Amino acid sequence: MNSITNFARTCSWLVHKDLLRELRAPRVWPTMLLLGMILSLAVEMQIELPRDQKQKVLGGLMWLVIFFAWTVVLNRLFAGERDESCWQALLLYPVTLGMIYLAKLVVNFLALAAIEALLVPALMILADVPLLARAGPFLAILVAANLGLAAVGTLVSSLTSGLTRQASLLVVLVLPLASPVVIGAGQATVALLGGDPTSSFRWLQLLSVFAAVFVGLGLLLFEFIIEE
Amino acid sequence: MYRILIVPAGLAALLALACYAIFVIAPQEVTMGDTQRIVYLHVAVAWCGLAGCIVMGATAAAYLARRAPAWDHWSQAAGELGWLCTTLTLATGSLWAHEAWNTWWTWEPRLTASLILWIIFAGYFLVRSSIDDPERRARLSAVLAILAVADVPLIIMATRWFRGIHPITPQMDPRMRLVLLISVACFTAFFATLIAVRRRQLDLIAHTTNLENASLT
Repeated sequence: MNSITNFARTCSWLVHKDLLRELRAPRVWPTMLLLGMILSLAVEMQIELPRDQKQKVLGGLMWLVIFFAWTVVLNRLFAGERDESCWQALLLYPVTLGMIYLAKLVVNFLALAAIEALLVPALMILADVPLLARAGPFLAILVAANLGLAAVGTLVSSLTSGLTRQASLLVVLVLPLASPVVIGAGQATVALLGGDPTSSFRWLQLLSVFAAVFVGLGLLLFEFIIEE
Repeated sequence: MYRILIVPAGLAALLALACYAIFVIAPQEVTMGDTQRIVYLHVAVAWCGLAGCIVMGATAAAYLARRAPAWDHWSQAAGELGWLCTTLTLATGSLWAHEAWNTWWTWEPRLTASLILWIIFAGYFLVRSSIDDPERRARLSAVLAILAVADVPLIIMATRWFRGIHPITPQMDPRMRLVLLISVACFTAFFATLIAVRRRQLDLIAHTTNLENASLT
C-alpha cells in the first residue's frame, strides 16, 4: 500500500513539474487550443447540413479536430527534457521509467481534456449539436478515448523524440496506430447522438480494451525506448 | 553452382503449383466466372501479410530480449515481405471489389484495418530510414513492430465485431476449398523462403559494413 502511495506521489510530482513549466512559460498549450478552435471553425463552416444530418458527421469530425490539435502537444512532450538537457538529471532521480511514462501519459490526458473542455461547448454553440444531452455516457467516451490516445501518443512521442524527421514522423506514426481509438470514439459519439446507446456502449467497450492494451504495451515498451 | 539454382527453382515450382491449382484444378464459379479466381491469390497474400506482421513483431520482441542483430534482420525481412503482401492484398481486394461490389474501394472494417496496417508498415520503414545508428534503429523499430501487431486482431476479427461485407464463414465447393489450401500453402512457403533469403542478405550487408568500419579504424 505504501509503495502504491509513493508511486502515485512521485507521478504527481512529475506531472506537476510539466504543468508548472507550461504555466510559467506557455509554449504549446495556447497554440494547441487556438489550433483546435480554428479547425473546429473550419469544419463548421464546411458543413451545411440540416441539424439531424449534422449530428451524424460531427461526432467523427470532432475527434479528428481533437486529434490534430493534440499533435501540437505531442510534438513537444519530450522536447523540454531534450532541449534543456534535463533528461539525464531526471533519470538520476529515484524514479522508475514506468513512473515517467505514466506521468507523461497523465500530462497528455490533461492536454486532451483541455482541448475537449474548449471544443465541446464551442461545437455545441456553433453547430447546435447537443453533445451533452447524454452527459454520463459522453464523458465515459471522452475518458476512454483520452486514455487510449494518451497511451499510444506518449509512447510514439518518446520514440520519435530526437529523430531527424520528428514532426512529420510523429503524425505519420500516431495517426494509424491511434486510428482504432479515433474511429471508435467517433463511432461511439455518432451512435450516442443518433439515439443508439447500445451501439455506443459496444464502441465504448472496444475503446476501453484499446486503452488497456495500449497502457499495458506502453509500460512494457517505454524502458526500451529510453535507454541512452 | 547447383546450390545457387535450388532456391529460385524451388520458388518457381511453388508458384507453378499454385497457378496450376488456381487455373486448372479450381472449378469455374457460377456467378462471377473466372474473376472469382482472384480470391485464391487474395486470401493467400492476405494471410502472408498478417503472418509477416506477426513474425516481424515476434522477432522484434526476441531482439529486445536478446539484443542479437540477427533478430533485427529477421524482423526487417518479415516487415518488408509483410508490406509487399499487404500491398498485394489491397490491390487484389480492390480488383475483386470492382467485380463483385461494383466499386474499387469501400470503407469496410476489414479493408480499413488492412489499409491501417499498410500505413503502419510504411511508418516502420520511415523510422528505420531516419536512424543511422544500427543499435538504436533496431531498438526503436522493434518497439514499433510490436505496436504494429496490435492491428492484427482487428483485421482478423473485423467482420465479427463490426458489420462488414466480408464473409465470416464462406460456403465453398470442396474442390475450391482444396485449391485455396494449396494456394495458401504455396504462397506461405514462397514468402517464407523470400524472408529467409532477405534475412541472409541483411546479415551479409551488416557483416560487410562491420568489416569496412574495422578496416577504416
